[in-house]
Amino acid sequence: MSMSGSAAAPALSAATPAPSLPRFRNAGWWGLILPAFLLMTVFYLAPILQVLLISFTEPRPGLDNYERLFTSMGVQNVIETTLRICIITTAVSLALGYALSYVVALASPRAQRWWLLAVLVPLWISVLVRSFAWVTLLRRQGLVNEGLMGLGVIDEPLRLVWNEFGIVVGMVHYMVPYAVLPILASMREIDPRLLAAARGLGASRFTAFRRVFLPLSAPGLVAAGVLVFIFSLGFYITPAILGGGKTLMAAEWIKLQILDLIRWGLGTMLATVLVVAILVTLAIFSRVVNLKRLFGGGA
Amino acid sequence: MQTFQQDCVELALRRFRRGEVGRRELLAGLVALGAVAPGGAAMAQAERQIVMVNWGGLANQGFGDFYGKPFMAENPGVRVVQDSTGPATGRIRSMVESGRVTWDVCDSSATGANLLGKLDLATRMDYSIINRNDVIGPGFALEYGVAPYSFSSVLVYDSAKFPNGGPTNWTDFWDLRKFPGTRLLRRDATCVLEAALMSMGKPPYPVDIRTGIRRVMELRRNLVFWTNGSESEQLMRTGEAVMGQIWHTRASVLHKESNGRFKFIWNQGVLQPGIQVVPKGNPAGEIVQKFLASMLAKPEPQVGLLGLLGNGPTNPKAAAMVPAELRQYNPTDPENEKQQIVLDGAFWGENYQQANQDFLDAVTG
Repeated sequence: MSMSGSAAAPALSAATPAPSLPRFRNAGWWGLILPAFLLMTVFYLAPILQVLLISFTEPRPGLDNYERLFTSMGVQNVIETTLRICIITTAVSLALGYALSYVVALASPRAQRWWLLAVLVPLWISVLVRSFAWVTLLRRQGLVNEGLMGLGVIDEPLRLVWNEFGIVVGMVHYMVPYAVLPILASMREIDPRLLAAARGLGASRFTAFRRVFLPLSAPGLVAAGVLVFIFSLGFYITPAILGGGKTLMAAEWIKLQILDLIRWGLGTMLATVLVVAILVTLAIFSRVVNLKRLFGGGA
Repeated sequence: MQTFQQDCVELALRRFRRGEVGRRELLAGLVALGAVAPGGAAMAQAERQIVMVNWGGLANQGFGDFYGKPFMAENPGVRVVQDSTGPATGRIRSMVESGRVTWDVCDSSATGANLLGKLDLATRMDYSIINRNDVIGPGFALEYGVAPYSFSSVLVYDSAKFPNGGPTNWTDFWDLRKFPGTRLLRRDATCVLEAALMSMGKPPYPVDIRTGIRRVMELRRNLVFWTNGSESEQLMRTGEAVMGQIWHTRASVLHKESNGRFKFIWNQGVLQPGIQVVPKGNPAGEIVQKFLASMLAKPEPQVGLLGLLGNGPTNPKAAAMVPAELRQYNPTDPENEKQQIVLDGAFWGENYQQANQDFLDAVTG
């Protein structure tokens, strides 16, 4: 590199005009993404906006639909239920994901590969299949209840499904891999010598974890939290199958309004609220955490 | 939410795959269901294509070759094609409002037909072409749709759980002391609120929505809901619920496969028409009226459908043609029909949106 590189460099700089170069070159790059940008705008953003605008025009122009956010018990219930389930799911997924990542991060490289495979395989199984599998496990005559009754631990089958418990189980199962990936990425960046140094300076194992490891892995934890929470907001199949019809989350409620009740104004209103909520969440956390990490942009 | 028609096609295909019915019977059944178009001379004149929209994607397989081609050969100039998109009321609305209608005949419901009619999204039935006397009652030939078949929401129960005799009406269904155990209802206000009111000895129509919902809430701790037919069957079969209100087709399957362990009663069942609607501005135009008329006028395929799935015929001549062993499963058999009430499609067309929203808010709150 050194010899040939130094020989080529003068020729290159002589051939290109020096002033106003960076700006010009940037404009060229922007020009390259212009087709993709136009495609997204025309075929994706514009139709979405058009649909969301229905919330301001139906059944009559105005903010009537948004007024329901404050006046309708039903709408408030759906939002409250959705938030509650999403927060619980996020908390449990983060706890499990953190513990799992910790084990993976400290494992030998060979073991790490197997761990990662075990984390990623569930991602490739259809969410529908997984939900039905949970039904088979958790129902009255399911494996869990029959097993516990066979062991004499319980007399009556536990109510493990057709309620919010069942929904959270199904959602956490789906979300743990999404929690593991960002957390693991940030744990891998931690220099293990820092922990050794902390121990050498007299910190106990727990103190070393609390004062050194946990703060250094916190960005991954926050990123995972944002990712899992946003994903959870839009869950449709899992609550529909495991909820026994008694729990309505936002996505299913919107579908009912659009397809069955044909009250498009209300359906698009909640859809708009959902989109805005997601954008606001992202905006807030983009100040706290590097969002590139979330979407696989590397460390 | 899965509709009844969608569920029927699923049932038919399952029986076909198990070898319980032949291809000929399957096709006859799908014809009567409206999932496949029958061949007839009624629409031979026009140079048109009729698009029928059904709920069963798999139903489309095969009939292109085995049914569509012979029909096209018999009726030069007319093609009947199938679309399995699933004509949800909201989808019909978006199609009509966008001004690009590609559907001609859609599987809907009495509620859907009235709702679409009210919103000016459906075509009026032409009773100079369709004969009102081809159906057993006025609820089967509506202003905005006609029913070539019927179905019912009945009380099904697991008789093994009640050795001293099962429930005989909706009052028993609501009696948790006499009949303990989880109940199963469809997550939809129609039929459920009627049952709730009948359980209190009140008249089902006009539906007292508030009272009905309050009555349903009494069961809340012992309630599971279904949204599609196979789910309702599965929840009963696996013992998640001891009794429920489900479609009689699913109840019949449970009855047969369990050798009578799962029983269902016609008493206070809610008889409903399987309504076909025509979206406003449909591409084939007038010719669909003749097509609908021929579906109602032919009792034989309707009886074929009963044999296949248990859907009730709606042609008045059909009940007498039903083989004796099938009569107990026929919702429009005179003996069974007189025990049931007929769904008031006009009431639900007017009140469905608000009533169902209130119902959903209550049961999911």
